[in-house]
Parts: sequence; structure tokens; C-alpha cells
Amino acid sequence: MELTPHVQEKLHAGHKLTAVVEAGLVQDFIKNTRVVALIEVASTHVKQGGEQALLIFQTARVPVHSAIDLSIEQVIAVDTNLKCEIDTSSLDVDTDVLVNITSGKVRLLFEMPFSQRTNAFVSEILRAAEVVSKRRGPPPEFAWLQPYQKSSTSSQDPASPGSAPTTADTLDGLGGDAVSLGDVSVDICQNLSSTYPDPANCNTENSSVHTENERSPDLGVNRHSIATGLSPTPIAARESHIRYQMAMREDAYTDIQEFTVFVGTWNVNGRSPTVGLAEWLAVDAEPPDVYAIGFQELDLNTEAFLFNNSPKEQEWLNAVLNGIHPKTKYRKVRLVRLVGMMLIVLVQEKHLAYVRNCAIDTVGTGIMNKMGNKGAVSVRLDLHNTSICFVNAHLAAHQEELERRNEDHDCIFQRTCFHLNITSNSPPKTIKDHEHIYFLGDMNYRINPCDMNIREVASSGEFKLLLQHEQLTQQKNAKRIFHKFKEGNILFKPTFKYDVDSDEWDSSEKARQPAWCDRILWYGDSITQLEYRSHPQLQISDHKPVSAIFMAGIKVVDTRRYRRIYEEVMKKLDKLENEFLPQVTIDTTEIILEPVKFYQSQTKYLTIANTGQVPVQFEFIKKLNDVTYCKPWLSIRPYSNFITPGEKCDVSLEVLVDKQTAAQLNSGVDQLYDILVLHLEGGKDLFITITGDYERSCFGSSINALVHMNKPFRDVPVAKLIDLESKQPKELSEMPYAVPKELWYLVDHLHSHGLQVKGLFTHPGLQKEIFEIRTCLDEGVEHQVLPGSVHSVAEALLLFIEALPEPVIPYSLYQAALDATPNFSLCKEVINKLPDYHRNVFEYLMAFLKELLNHAEDNTLDANTLAHVFGSVLIRESSAVAGSSDRRNQNQAIERKKQTFVHHFLMND
Amino acid sequence: MSLTYVDRLLYFWFKMSAGPYNYSYIFKYIIIGDMGVGKSCLLHQFTEKKFMADCPHTIGVEFGTRIIEVAGQKIKLQIWDTAGQERFRAVTRSYYRGAAGALMVYDITRRSTYNHLSSWLTDARNLTNPNTVIFLIGNKADLDAQRDVTYDEAKQFAEENGLMFVEASAKTGENVEEAFLETAKKIYQNIQDGSLDLNAAESGVQHKPTQPGRTNLNNDSQTNRDNCSC
Ligand SMILES: Nc1nc2c(ncn2[C@@H]2O[C@H](COP(=O)(O)OP(=O)(O)O)[C@@H](O)[C@H]2O)c(=O)[nH]1
Ligand SMILES: [Mg+2]
Repeated sequence: MELTPHVQEKLHAGHKLTAVVEAGLVQDFIKNTRVVALIEVASTHVKQGGEQALLIFQTARVPVHSAIDLSIEQVIAVDTNLKCEIDTSSLDVDTDVLVNITSGKVRLLFEMPFSQRTNAFVSEILRAAEVVSKRRGPPPEFAWLQPYQKSSTSSQDPASPGSAPTTADTLDGLGGDAVSLGDVSVDICQNLSSTYPDPANCNTENSSVHTENERSPDLGVNRHSIATGLSPTPIAARESHIRYQMAMREDAYTDIQEFTVFVGTWNVNGRSPTVGLAEWLAVDAEPPDVYAIGFQELDLNTEAFLFNNSPKEQEWLNAVLNGIHPKTKYRKVRLVRLVGMMLIVLVQEKHLAYVRNCAIDTVGTGIMNKMGNKGAVSVRLDLHNTSICFVNAHLAAHQEELERRNEDHDCIFQRTCFHLNITSNSPPKTIKDHEHIYFLGDMNYRINPCDMNIREVASSGEFKLLLQHEQLTQQKNAKRIFHKFKEGNILFKPTFKYDVDSDEWDSSEKARQPAWCDRILWYGDSITQLEYRSHPQLQISDHKPVSAIFMAGIKVVDTRRYRRIYEEVMKKLDKLENEFLPQVTIDTTEIILEPVKFYQSQTKYLTIANTGQVPVQFEFIKKLNDVTYCKPWLSIRPYSNFITPGEKCDVSLEVLVDKQTAAQLNSGVDQLYDILVLHLEGGKDLFITITGDYERSCFGSSINALVHMNKPFRDVPVAKLIDLESKQPKELSEMPYAVPKELWYLVDHLHSHGLQVKGLFTHPGLQKEIFEIRTCLDEGVEHQVLPGSVHSVAEALLLFIEALPEPVIPYSLYQAALDATPNFSLCKEVINKLPDYHRNVFEYLMAFLKELLNHAEDNTLDANTLAHVFGSVLIRESSAVAGSSDRRNQNQAIERKKQTFVHHFLMND
Repeated sequence: MSLTYVDRLLYFWFKMSAGPYNYSYIFKYIIIGDMGVGKSCLLHQFTEKKFMADCPHTIGVEFGTRIIEVAGQKIKLQIWDTAGQERFRAVTRSYYRGAAGALMVYDITRRSTYNHLSSWLTDARNLTNPNTVIFLIGNKADLDAQRDVTYDEAKQFAEENGLMFVEASAKTGENVEEAFLETAKKIYQNIQDGSLDLNAAESGVQHKPTQPGRTNLNNDSQTNRDNCSC
């Protein structure tokens, strides 16, 4: 079970194993065992130590015995792109936690046992991710991971340049794909393609989770993997799984609809809205679907600064509401303000119903990294099925504060955190968790000093030259900030810094250089910018307002298709649940016995093969009103067992008709017929019918029936046998024997051949000979000769007496017989009460025994021994009584009484 | 060494038995009726939405499950499909106990299967609780040309005996969903109006998910005899 040494062995020199855990990787509807390891490179190996990565291993067997069992399936660099989330909705399961690991388009869902180890592992990943997010400077390269990627079994990402596929796309400041739900891993798309003709934009080329050849298209389960314990098991947390599946299939039930989004930003320099804003907000012919309007320096008062309390908020909100497009109605989604930063998000009234999960957050990056004079205010929401985030930022001012601005940028991305309402159960979201992100504000990036006259060029309209020296553009190109974000071409004059109420550059003492402080950037695949412009007509501030119009592809759910797919998912889960029910195949459901003879056992075998996908615990169970799971003449071994998938279990069914069961079969009360119920724990039941013919025998027949049989037992028709065994037989013989002829043959044989034999009735006979004697008695004795040794005949005699369904001393007189033992005459009274033929048998046997004792010198028998042997077969208690426990305690005393009873007759008569 | 494996199994059973499934009730159903009327096909059609033309004879009691929704409540159906052969009758009777719903099936193309309904109904009435919803299904409705039992007479039989009734086809799927769902709705309604007491041991409805199997076919606890004779 200890994985560490085996994983360590797979690592290259200088790489250290931080934590490792065994987990179930959820793939489609099943999960497969993986080993997940967090590794770290020593600081000497890379410029900046502490780079970490996740290695995901496939395992050839469970548990892992050596490093050979492990093969690298996937390598995931721990960069700012990596996210590790615990699915909180599954926390009611106290055995497993669902851990979501996403990195760009790779999205993996693991089930990990709820254990210390998992806890430690997840904490390590979170710690590693935090280290990366705090890190400064150029993004890590992860070149040290190359050797692992070579050996990785998964397909290399062809879209990425050679070196480090999983990291080539790494974002530094910002996580990349914000895990758009449409970007699903390839195997799921492939599985889907059969069900859905158009799995839409499944981004197959960019996935590195699995290749087709690794997995069969359906849920075929490899026998070997089952045998080795690698069998996939059904997903645990159904609810979270449905959510996961629905997210994966999003493309199949959503349509992209174009929405226009107006984004505006204006540093208003503490002024009040003395002019209408229509020239900024409503210059386009058609009204946008969404407005996101950001302000900075809304209020420069210390009151606002210290207590975040400002009358300007309402003033500007009113101005906005008055200035927006008049053609249609808007509703405010959220307004968020921190000191001078304010962001207002509005949507057309008709869209309001499709806006969900709104949340806001503010981050102050001012003094002590806390005060709200700088920082960002943000709003997030889901519009239909697309997650959107608006960030209105105000970064550090001044030409030389470039690095400070960069840090503010980092800080905003790191610290902004939206808490959705508690009931939705989802983890908090960061900015990069959104599919569409609009980042607007007074970024305060300036134009570096250069050999141009910035003011002149800025006024001329030759912005291209100037933009080469523009800090934000430079920093972005260097991937220091806004990685993966886009910005439209800037075709407008710098928006800073003007003399108030004019279009003149700053004429104050400070004579600030013009700069494009006010910017709008965006992130997201399906967004196109239509306009990017400034609005110099608005002159009340030293900044000009900027706006951008976007065409954004929003995923709109088609409820009909959603419902259908939801049902598909449910159906598939149901189907799986049925498939994961225990399944066995049995080689026969009907067992036909060869003719069964008295006291001769016969064994049949039943093979139970586990043909299902899960281990089976089987058990033969009782039927209604039955006391036992099978008839008394049958014994099943094992009657309960455990079979792993692909394995078999042979069950033996032994049939033995003995003295206890023969009578019932003879009399037709019972038959050799039984239906066994083979129950699979947690699953179905199978019925197994067992049938056979019992060859009736004089053994097990009653004295009263036998004396009326003048023919060999075998020649008596079954109907007559049953009739004779009934309470009131119709067909009695006219000339009944005094004692059953079979008894006579047995005794006569012993009389003729055994009187002088030493050890008679104490020496055991041979099983085989006893069968022969039985057959001979049943079929008719020729020449009064029985086969076998006298010992076998002696044992057959005892067996015959013991098999009598009604003992020689009938059950009804059992207690009387025991009570009579102190006194011989009482015993004789009991004998006088016996039914005629029983009394005959008793007296006949006593006479024979006395004769035996007459030859005691030869056969060495004594009265005590004989009385004991015969007492126990002649006097028997009914099995119903025999069962009770206090009886059993008195067993010895009873045996002694039985002996005494017989002893009287041997000695006193 | 094999600890993890055993753990996995225990885990698996835990999942199967008491996993955090999102349903509020479990209803137990039984499907009864003569052999060959299409009981197993109906179950299969309901759980897998497929017609299984070469369905093997049921020799025993098959088990299937599906989660459905009634009035916004998720309900897990545990369905026992019994063997219809006469010789198993005595054994299959054990499975009636605790059924919340009984689907009684005949084959519209075979009159004998219809004639036997009264005997099936007697069993169902005697062996289930009085609130058990009994739904009569005339199966193989797709074989209208070979019809041997008219809709009207079956309808009348159903009405006389207070049964819900449809003609369905496990082959085309027609009315299959309906039969199972209508039964569930009726049971749910019985719970809502209080006529079905959930606390009664044999209501056939469970509030909390438990393991599907392990029906104790007997009243008293099992005596695990390892050895029956001698
Ligand atoms: N045409 C038709 N055949 C059916 C239908 N349902 C079942 N069958 C067939 O009837 C036979 C018996 O079905 P089965 O489900 O095994 O019956 P069971 O013994 O009641 O379980 C099978 O050959 C099925 O293919 C149906 O709705 N239409
Ligand atoms: Mg069947």
C-alpha cells in the first residue's frame, strides 16, 4: 500500500516527491484507479526553485507492487492555471471526496477517500498553487518536466510547441481558459459522438486526457483489470456527477446567441455629473444588451476615502440611468463601489430573468494594500449559461510606478473572490473562473519617455509609434500582465490628461504627459470588439471617457434539448446502476439426480460464474414458510460465498436419503424435488430446481406396511406402498407376516452364520456390503442367503430397525418406556401396549438376542452391550422432542434407561 | 496486502446501498403474470428503453432499478420481475411481501394468460398489503392482429377489481413508461393522503435508501444451516 517508494523510483534526479495519493479518476460514468503525485524540482535545477507539478500515473495493478506498475499518463504543471477544488456538494458522503483538478482545458475529476492522506495531498496542491500565485517575475518554464512528458502515455498536444505542452500555454498573471465548460476532455466527446450527432465545439485537439485507443468506446470492462482489482466502479455522488456530466455536455444543449455588451470607463476626477452622459453611453444606433459602466475618482473626499460613504454614488447612478440608450428599458443588475471606484452593470429588462448568480467583490490595493483609493470593484454573473465577470480597476498612478501597477494588477486577480449564494453550493469563484472577462478602468499606465514629442504625436493621430512606448502594451506583450487578454487597436487620442472643460493637454505646473490611462480589455473566445473609442466631448474631468462595444457569444440553453440530455444522463446512470448489479451465470438451473438409493449419497455440482462487473456475495436463502434453505436430504457446500468478477465457484449438492428422511419419501409425504433460491446480495435471485427419483426401500418403511407385503419390496407398486404407509390402508394382505420378512431374513442370517462370531454388533460392517444387503432385501432374497459379512448384516439390521419411521417402541410409548425402567413388570406392561406387529418384532428380537447371549463364550457379547446397542434403536424419541436442549443434557441418563429397559428382557424373562 | 481491494469492495457496497443518491423514496414493485407474457421485456424496456427480443426465460427473480420523478420528488423504483412458471409459483409468492406496486401482466394474444389473472390477483391481494397498487397491463399491444382478448373486457375486469389498466407493448415501448409511472403516482398519492402508512413494515416504501437485495423470504431470521442432513 505504500506508494511513496515506487513513485519516487519513477522520478528523475533532483526531483522530489511531495505527496502522493491513490484516487479514482472519473471518466465518463466510471472511475479508474490512478496514482496522483505532487513533485517538486530542487532549486538548483531551475532558476527559481520550488516549481511543482502533478504526475498522474496509470496503474497496472492495485495495489501497486513496484514502480513497473506505474506509467505516466499525464503531467500537469502547477502554475497559475491550475485549480484544485473540492466539490463541497459531495461532503455528505463521508467516505469520499470529489476533487476537481483543472488546468486550462484539462479537467479531471477524482474521487479520493476521505482520509488524512487525501487531506494532506489536497493541502499540498493548494499550497503549491499559492506559492505560484505569489511568485513574481517571468512565468516558470517547467522545462524540467520534459522527460516525463516524453514517457507520458497520452497524446501530446499537437497545438503546443515542442518543449512543454502543458505549460506552453501557461498564463502568468492570469489563468487562461477560465475552464470554459465547453472545452471538455476528448474521451467524453468521443463517447458522446454516438449519442449526439454534433458534439459542437468539443475541443478535441487541445485535450490531453485520453486517446481513443486507450479506452474502448463503451463501458467494456477488461476482465484482467477486474481480476486485479482495477475494475471500474460506479460513480459515488450521483448528484455531483450529474452536474459534471451536464457541464461536459453543455454544447449539446446550448446555442450561441450574440449579445452586445457596452463597456465604459471614466475617471471623473471627483466631479459631479453636470452634463448628460448620452454622448458616452448612447451614441450607437441600437441599444446594447448589457451595460458595464465603471468610474474612478468618483469622490475625492476624505469622507469617502475613510468611510466609503459618498453622495456621488447616487448622483452618478442617476446620470447613468438618464444617459443610457433610450430605445429600451434596462434594469440594474448590480452596483458596486469602493471609495472612488464604482461599477454599474445593467441589462435589458428582457434579459433579467436569465441573469443568475450575481456577486460582487472589491479589492483595495491602496495604502497597506487595503485602502480603497486604488484597487478594483467587480461584478460577476451568469447570463444564460455563460459566466461573465466585469472588473473595474484603478491602478497606481504616476509615470514611475510601473511595477506598483503590475502588482496592483496581480493583487486584483489574486484577491478578487466572489461568493455565490450559499444554497448554490459551489465554491467561491475568482476572476479567472469566468468564461468572459471584461477588465476596464484607469490602469494608469503611461508612455515611457522617448525621442518623440509625446504631446505632438498624441495630437497628430500617429498613435502607432507612440503605442510602442506605451507601458501597458509593453508589459502585456512581455506577458507580465493581462496574459491571454485582448485589447482592440487604440485609434483614439490619449484620454489623459486634459485641462478640465477643454480638449487641451494639461497646462498645470506638473504638465503631465498624455497617456492612455483608461482602457478596456477582454478575455473570452466568443467575443468580438466592434468599437473602441473615447468620448472627448465630455470635458468635465481631466480624463476622457472610453467605451467599447462587444459582440459576445452567450450560451443560451435550449430547455427541450437540456431536458432530453438531462434525461440521457439520468438514464445512463440508471443503466449503469443496473449494469453494476451483481450478475452470475449458472451452468444449469435444473439438476436431475440419478436414481437415489437409501443411504447412498450422490453429489452434483453447480458452477456459479460471476459474469457481472462487481463482486458477488451469494447465498442460498429460505423460501417463505420454510425453516431451512433446502430439503433435509440435501446439503449444499458452500451455501454462501463470495466471487470476484470473472471468477467461478463450484457448489456441491449432496443428496443423502438416510434414516431420518427415508420414511417421508417412502410414504410420499416428501419427494426428491426442491427449488433452491440462490440470492445475490444486492441483486437478483435465481431458482435452481433439483429433481430425482427415490428408489423406495424396505429401509425406512414401517413395520405395519412391511408385514403386509408378501412380495419382494421392489415388486410392490408405488401406489400400494403409499397406501400401506397411510394411516388407514385400504389394501391389507390377507396373510400378513408376524414380523417383516426383511427382518426375518436379517435375523435368520445372523442366527445361521453369526452366533459364534466374535464382536458381532460391535464390529462395523462395510458400507458397500450394506448397500448390497439392502438391494438384496428390496429385490427379494434368493435361497435365504444375504450377501456380505455377518458384521455388515448385523449393521444392516440395526439400520433397518433405526430407519423404521415408527420405532419398535412407538413414539407414543416412549416416555412410558423410560418411566418403566426401574421395574421389569412395568416394562412388560409397556410391551403389552405395543401394536401387535411391533410387539412381535420386539419379542422376536429379544429371543434372538438371548440366543446370542447363549453363545457369549464365542461371540464375547454381554447383556449390557446388547441392551445398549438395541435400546438406542428400539426406543427412539421423536425428532421434534430430541431437538430441545434440556433433553440433550439428560442424554446420558436417557441412554441408560433405554439400555435398562432392554436389559430387563434379556436377563429376566 | 489485499486490504485496498477489500476496501474497494466495502466502499462499493456502501455506495450501492446507501450512497448519497438524490431520491427521497424507494418503492418496491413486483411484476407478476404467466410465463411469456413479457414481464422481463417490460422491465427491460423500462430500465433500458430497449426491447430485448431474445430475453431468456426468467428462472428466478430479476432485479432492476430506475429513478423517476413524481411531483418533483425523486423516487427510486426497485423492481422485482418474477418467474411466471407455475412450478415456481410457491417460491415467487415470497416476493410479494412489501411490494408497494404490483404490475400484473397478461398477453393480449393469449387468452389463457388472461384467464389466469384471477389467480394472480388472488395472490397479489393475499400476499401484499391492502394499499398495494395493482396495475393491470395487457402486453404485446403491437400484435393487434393476433388479439385474443379485447380491450373492453379487460377494461371491465380491471374496473370490477379496482385495478388501473393499460394495454402496452414492451416492443414498441407504448404505455410502458406510463404504467410504471402511473403506479408510482398512485403510491405517492397514497402517501400524501395518508392512506399508506410508511411506518408499516410492509408498505413497500422506504424513506431512506437501503440495500435493494436481502429480501428475507421468511418471517423469522435466517437459520444458516451449514449442513442439512445427518
Ligand atoms: N411482439 C411482442 N413481443 C413481446 C412483447 N413483450 C415480450 N414479447 C416477447 O414475448 C416473449 C416472452 O417475453 P418475456 O419478457 O421473456 O416474458 P416473461 O416470461 O413474462 O418474462 C419474448 O420472446 C419476447 O420477445 C411485446 O410487447 N410485443
Ligand atoms: Mg421473464
